[in-house]
Amino acid sequence: MERRLVHFTLITIIIGFMLAVQLQTKRHPVVRDTRDIWELRKDLKQEQELEQQLLLEIRHNDEKIQNYKQSRSVNQRAALEETVNELKREAGLTEISGPGLLLTIEPFYPDNYVGPVVNTVSPELLKRFINELNMYGAKEIAIANERITNTTAIRDVNGVTKIGNTKVSSLPIQVKVIADNVTTFHNRLKASTIFDDFVIENLQITVSEPMTTVVIPKYDGNWHIRYMKAVQAEKEGK
Amino acid sequence: MWLPIIGFIIGITLGLLTDWRIPDEYSSYLSIAILAAFDTLIGGIRAHLQNTYDENVFLTGFFFNIILAASLAFLGVHLGVDLYLAAVFAFGVRLFQNIAVIRRIWLGKWMEKRQKS
Repeated sequence: MERRLVHFTLITIIIGFMLAVQLQTKRHPVVRDTRDIWELRKDLKQEQELEQQLLLEIRHNDEKIQNYKQSRSVNQRAALEETVNELKREAGLTEISGPGLLLTIEPFYPDNYVGPVVNTVSPELLKRFINELNMYGAKEIAIANERITNTTAIRDVNGVTKIGNTKVSSLPIQVKVIADNVTTFHNRLKASTIFDDFVIENLQITVSEPMTTVVIPKYDGNWHIRYMKAVQAEKEGK
Repeated sequence: MWLPIIGFIIGITLGLLTDWRIPDEYSSYLSIAILAAFDTLIGGIRAHLQNTYDENVFLTGFFFNIILAASLAFLGVHLGVDLYLAAVFAFGVRLFQNIAVIRRIWLGKWMEKRQKS
């Protein structure tokens, strides 16, 4: 009888153990890291670049704090104004000029073309195009004289593409791009496959030679500021 | 009577504490092994109640059933036929039968006791 009990206990211990292992496996399955050495290197490089960028930003902000602290009365206003201007520049509220390229989007039809005539560029294509430009190192972009900012919406309104507040209802349209390194940008763009995507929609892009100055207009919509409030000056007028 | 239940709890805590996990591909083998183990356990309880318990049959049955079920599942995976279903079916049917027998025996004992009192 005693032996029997011991055997049963042994078996139940084994069953309990197996059950627990199975439950645990089902709850958190083992996720294996299957990246090979090149993928690991790529990820590492990405992280390093991010670190670099963050360090740069930290240094920049530290400098700014130093500026605020130094000679409070005299320089503070100047430092604040500088920050405001910098933010405005980043938000696209100032006209900007620099070395860049001029791209023209035109209709393109083969000789024996029969079919609908396009006079707009589809939003999907434009978004892809902007992504491509950004990928190649574009700093500022304006399409049909409308500055592309972080919040510019590109959408289809009753069959006509709208970029921000501008309608794209007639071709050709001009795309202005400013880049830090225009030659590289130009070369990269020349090798891009985005032109083929445009040809599918019966459009073609002409790329100008690198120019020393391209003027990109400022964004002239209103920024809706929802989450910021002006601080009431406490000792004003005293 | 209480020792097996305590053993079961000890087994579960041990399993949870060791934080062991098996790869997802093998979890079906483990589940079928658990089923086989349960089948043997219930069969053992039934044999105990019917006074036909033999410890050699019980212990060899436990390990043999587990190994058989797992190898059947393994064979099924390699043949592309869900052979583990055969094991699940066999064990499942036997589990229900054994539990039914145990229930009847317990019920009979209980009725006897009530009639006596």
